[in-house]
Amino acid sequence: MKKLLIALLSVGFLASCTDVLEDVEPSTSISFEAALGSKEAVDAIRASMYSKIRASFDFTTEYFVGPAALADLTYHRPGSSRFQALNTANGTGGTTHIGSSGGFEIIQEANLLINGIAEGVLDQATLDQYQGEAYAIRAFVNHRMAKTYGYEPNTPEAANWNLSIVLRTKATLDIADAEPLPRSTVDETYALIKSDLQTAKSLLSGRNSDNGYITEAFVEGMLARVHLYASEYSAAVTAAEAAISKSGRSLVDTEAGVATMFKGKNPEALFELVVDPNTESIAGSNTNSGPVAYTSDQWVAQIPTNEHVSKYGAGDWRVAGWHNDCIAQQTVGATANGCETRNDLAVSITKFNGWKGNLAQDLTYMRIAEMYLILAEAAAKNANDPSAGLPYLQELRDARGAGAVPASATASMTAYEDFLLDERARELVIEGHRFFDLKRLNRDIPSGLGGIKMRKDSYRILAPYPLTTQNVNPLLVQNPGYATAQ
Amino acid sequence: MRFVNARFSHRKNQTLYLMKKFTFLLGALFVFTGLSVAQTSTIRGTVTDVESGGGVPQANVFIVELLKGAAADFEGNYLINDIPYGEYTLRVSSIGYVTYEQTLTVDASLEVVDVLLQPDLASLGDVIVTGYGAIEKRELTGSISSVRTQDIEGVTLQSTEALLQGRAAGVTVSTTSGNPGGAFKVNVRGNGSINAATEPLYIVDGVQISFAQQSSNTSTTPLNSINPNDIESIEVLKDAAAAAIYGAQAAAGVVLITTKKGQSGQVQIDANIERGVRNIARSVKYITSDQYVQYMGEALAFNNGVKDVAATDISAFTDIYKNFFLGFFGADPNSDGSKLANTNWQDFIFSEGLTQKYNLSMSGGNAGTVFRISTGYEDTEGTAFGSDFTRLNIRTNLDQRIGEQLNLSIALNLAQSTQTGVCQDGNFINCPPSQAMFEAPMSFPYNADGSYNINTRFGESTNPAVVENEVDRNVTIGFLTGRTSLTYNPFSWMSITGLFGLDYRNTQDEQYRSPIAAPGQSGWLSYTNRNVYNFNTSIVANMEQTFNEVHTVQALLGGEYRRDYSQSYGTRGDGFTGNFFNVLSATATPVSAFGVNNEWRIAGYFANVKYNYDDRYFLSFVGRYDGHSRFGADNRWGFFPSISGAWRISEEDFFDVAFIDDLKLRGGYGTTGNSAVGNFASRGLFSVSGSYRGSSGITPNQLANGMLGWEQASEVNIGLDYELFSGRVFGAIDVYRKQNSDLLFGLPLPSSSGFGSITSNIGKVENKGLEVEFNSVNISTRDFSWTTRFNFALSSNEILELPYGEDISAGSQFSSLKIGKPMGLIQVAKWAGVNPADGRPMWYDVDGNIIFQNVNGANDVEYKDGHAEFVGGYGTTVSYKGLSVDAFFQFSFGQWAHAGTDFYFTRTPDFLMNLNTEVLDRWKSPGDITYYPRAMTGGAVFAETDNYRTTESTQGIYNTSYIRLKNLNVTYDIPSRFTDAIGIRGASIYAAGVNLFTWTAWPWYDPEVARSTTDIFGNQIYASYPTEKTFYGGIRLQF
Repeated sequence: MKKLLIALLSVGFLASCTDVLEDVEPSTSISFEAALGSKEAVDAIRASMYSKIRASFDFTTEYFVGPAALADLTYHRPGSSRFQALNTANGTGGTTHIGSSGGFEIIQEANLLINGIAEGVLDQATLDQYQGEAYAIRAFVNHRMAKTYGYEPNTPEAANWNLSIVLRTKATLDIADAEPLPRSTVDETYALIKSDLQTAKSLLSGRNSDNGYITEAFVEGMLARVHLYASEYSAAVTAAEAAISKSGRSLVDTEAGVATMFKGKNPEALFELVVDPNTESIAGSNTNSGPVAYTSDQWVAQIPTNEHVSKYGAGDWRVAGWHNDCIAQQTVGATANGCETRNDLAVSITKFNGWKGNLAQDLTYMRIAEMYLILAEAAAKNANDPSAGLPYLQELRDARGAGAVPASATASMTAYEDFLLDERARELVIEGHRFFDLKRLNRDIPSGLGGIKMRKDSYRILAPYPLTTQNVNPLLVQNPGYATAQ
Repeated sequence: MRFVNARFSHRKNQTLYLMKKFTFLLGALFVFTGLSVAQTSTIRGTVTDVESGGGVPQANVFIVELLKGAAADFEGNYLINDIPYGEYTLRVSSIGYVTYEQTLTVDASLEVVDVLLQPDLASLGDVIVTGYGAIEKRELTGSISSVRTQDIEGVTLQSTEALLQGRAAGVTVSTTSGNPGGAFKVNVRGNGSINAATEPLYIVDGVQISFAQQSSNTSTTPLNSINPNDIESIEVLKDAAAAAIYGAQAAAGVVLITTKKGQSGQVQIDANIERGVRNIARSVKYITSDQYVQYMGEALAFNNGVKDVAATDISAFTDIYKNFFLGFFGADPNSDGSKLANTNWQDFIFSEGLTQKYNLSMSGGNAGTVFRISTGYEDTEGTAFGSDFTRLNIRTNLDQRIGEQLNLSIALNLAQSTQTGVCQDGNFINCPPSQAMFEAPMSFPYNADGSYNINTRFGESTNPAVVENEVDRNVTIGFLTGRTSLTYNPFSWMSITGLFGLDYRNTQDEQYRSPIAAPGQSGWLSYTNRNVYNFNTSIVANMEQTFNEVHTVQALLGGEYRRDYSQSYGTRGDGFTGNFFNVLSATATPVSAFGVNNEWRIAGYFANVKYNYDDRYFLSFVGRYDGHSRFGADNRWGFFPSISGAWRISEEDFFDVAFIDDLKLRGGYGTTGNSAVGNFASRGLFSVSGSYRGSSGITPNQLANGMLGWEQASEVNIGLDYELFSGRVFGAIDVYRKQNSDLLFGLPLPSSSGFGSITSNIGKVENKGLEVEFNSVNISTRDFSWTTRFNFALSSNEILELPYGEDISAGSQFSSLKIGKPMGLIQVAKWAGVNPADGRPMWYDVDGNIIFQNVNGANDVEYKDGHAEFVGGYGTTVSYKGLSVDAFFQFSFGQWAHAGTDFYFTRTPDFLMNLNTEVLDRWKSPGDITYYPRAMTGGAVFAETDNYRTTESTQGIYNTSYIRLKNLNVTYDIPSRFTDAIGIRGASIYAAGVNLFTWTAWPWYDPEVARSTTDIFGNQIYASYPTEKTFYGGIRLQF
């Protein structure tokens, strides 16, 4: 009996050691050390970097549809309120501008790959590849945020207000890393974006076979886009040409090809985010939140405006290929009428319509056609002569069955820019460009219902930082004109 | 014949006293076994209540040295045979009486020993179970509410928590679901936590009960393992002085549940059979189809320019709607196609259920062993759609002496419960409680040929009849709760107890949808298996010494360890071929498989040192040093001290107030912890997140906070225990102030960090209040007695600190957190009534002007809150001879709430759902002063007003205050001349009811508004399962 008691006592005491308290592990999580110290875990961080883009509303649906809705390309169908606030854009609240706050979660993943993983975990080739992808994605995300919150370099606006975004270049591994940072200037921001892209280019040199991941060609494409925004035309031309040639891709140039190019493995894509509709959802729900759900099938919410559909000429393959009768889009039980109040054709944009089922699709973030448009713009501006850009523009239009560029469009640089803007709208509608194109070219933002929504010099061109963000980060200076935390 | 009238002198320390007793017993046993006994005698007698002169039924008469005894019959008569001649101690005890002892010389001359028992009217001599021990109430320095056997004897309730409701001052208990076996929100002295709200720590016979991994199929509680019939007492450690010994787990209060043990003496068998019926306690009134058509016709008339529907013939409009409804809902299947159905969905969904219970217990003991074995079976049907609860349990409590210094104690409970549940708590289209509001009376469940109507509000698959017949939600829980403890008494002044407690629970959730209920998947079946392996062990040393007869020092030292490991895994298959099978093997496609596990551990050392001078001055120090796996590596261990003292003023020489028997002033201060943070909240973690091209992703989802610790509650309590008029009036008064600080919050981080927030200790909440317990023995005579018991608690709640000193969700109507305000603040616009001129709804704007359009939130004012300020209970018992009537009322005042589902769906015909009868008091003609605006076809149909339904206002906030007749029992003890005749010890029959009447102004189902067991706001309810009332009758037999 004494033995029993002693056993009882000793178990009681042994059990009370501190060690046992530390020896408890979660079943679906691992520690930072484990995650950054094993190849499998680093592979998973890379997967998460791409997955975070897909999961972020700001970098999927809002990325694609927001700039069209905040400008004049789409307007909410009567009875549907999705993105209505962007269409009307009244008030100074955070919801009235294009969101991009989800970007830092993606950057965190990129930063982990850039400077978080332990040495020797990956072989050099894999490390180069992952880090190259990470630099490119960081640049891509930063550029989107920079377009939203700040002006473009080399513009008079930027000279007046030169704050851009918060640049975070280190992974947050500890509470000490999460310190508040001030906004960087426009020049600092673009310098980092460009240097990230240059680094990515060298790390990804020769990697062009799989456009479901970041390729060298996409990095060139990003460089072309960023240089164009920075009015660095010669560099933009070089990069855009490199993007086309390195990708090995060319423009789709048949009517059937144009109609189906978004319906699977886009032949023009420089980067296409792959979505498995069985296990993966866009921004949480393909059915409710994806770009398709917003533009056609599910909600038939953002309808092309007359302003937009009237831009196409007769016979343009993009009209029938990328638009469809609204009523045909309606889901059972929903009544998607009212499209006729937005455009005379009573159509919705079906360009992105899901081909994988469940309203899912692969998301094309950049494609060859944009390179041609960059070339058409940058070459002309570099030479200050529309004819320098005209061949690229005509090549694109030929591939779309859109006919010859009218002579009036090349009468002056201004007329050429006007025509280019329209061409960009026709080609890149719902691909995330319209508002930013108008902004970088210092144009008034028209309303989808006619008239002007924001004048080019309005403070509302730049997005506000939400008050809560300012409360947490006292170093964050609000954009002019918006409410500031006390 | 001898008469003895003695008052038992209270022992200073019950534990020690018991130890001494056993030592003595043991010695006696060894002596006697060596003797051969020549002559024996028989004693008999009557145990009589000294005050009333009546017999004391069931009194336990016991010869200590022989461990031999008998229980008196219902008239107090007892008989003990075969007593060897000699000198013995006779002990007579009964619940509610002071235990009586006398020395007895048994020889040929002794035949009759009658005993007078002194009623123990007051409870100061009661033994109160405290943390790791037990003391007499008179020695208590902290605040403990105690529910004793005598308070709950004969009260049939399903669950442990229900026994506490209204019976312990300051413990607020609300049902979160009326389904049998459903959960309760138990709140000890208010909400102290915001983001880590938790149940109190429940300890059953030393076993700490885990609340991990509960069923998701229906509302349930781990305490369902306990048959209330087995409960001896429930103690709630309310203040920090009492609870600090449980350290980091004690901030939400500690509830100690003690089950009944055996007593030495003759084996006693108790049997109890009970049957009854259940109905919903309160129903809501909805309008009929005809009234609905009339309403819609009026609405349409208004839309067409009619200004006064009372003075206008609007039959053209009502006809339009009648025809529309005939098309939309279909005609009454029992009509010729021209009539609308008029279904009472509430009656269809909630119908009468039957309940039956059987309990059998056997207890007894001898020299070395006392035992109690009980078994119980209960089957209770709920009111909603086949909901049901069954419980079968077997409990064995055994105490065994081993040698002279050891005592082994085992308490084992095996239980199995099954619940057939229904989904509830939310605006779900397939949950019966919300369906009662979603289906209009024009809709109907079955077609004339008996097939399902496919035109119910959301189609056939959610037709309530389909939900009734084609959906199963089964929960089967196996419980094993066991404790074994070994006590070693090396010296007379010392005992050491080692304890192992095991709490194992297996929950199987099975959910089935037939192809009719889930046409998209051709039916499906999901199965989830949940296991909880919860284990605690402790070792405790108790010491006591008295010096110079007046200085008593007691010390308790201990260590404890607990590990709570839980897991769940499950799978789901879609696609059945026909309606024949409902097993996973019959499904066509495996859809998902999942599994997770979770764990936490706590270890602690504790001590309690008490000093008492001459039973007059008491001082107690408690300290506990706890380490918890949940907390940051740099802040893993915490110290929780308390100090308390008491002064028995009535023991002072100068105190001379004749009618005061006992008066004790208590005071205490201490701290406790709340460790209910996430299991790994302090760690930096990468978690599985998303995937890309076939590879799973992981992402850093949580930053390490090495300093993360428990929420801390500091509490000061001052109390007064009183006993007056020879124990006829007694009770306690307590005032307290409790501040919970270091509350867990997600401290927002700069968004550029990639993290939204980090869990940190910030924030502070205060609860303060007054608690009063009052008991009185109004009349006590031989045949007639009348007693009352009453308790209430007044309390208030206030948020003191929040992160960055800023209110959180300040504009939220129901879940704002504002500094200086209580949790559960309700902020809505002020209702300005219905415009008598045209029947439009009106609100006030912030400046007090009447407005017709009100953007939700724009004109909100701070209105009421969801905190019940005044709660308690009142019970009274009247007995005349064998007949006794006991009534217990429970009340709650001061809580206001919004019935979300009722409001959004049964207030306007926006969705063509049910409409409650509030719409009948509506505006029809200019000049009408009404509660409800004019009829509306839906939405904001008057162009000039906002939507009446969705614009929250003070009109939609109701007072939930209620008084409820919780229990009413009428019991008749059958006289012993009948029971003797059939050879049983006693019998009684009873009739009773639970929740029979509720007095309240709350117009919805149940004024007990609690959305979940940890709902901190208490101001909203969404289609909860309504509380039920029960009538039952039963018979209790004793052998």
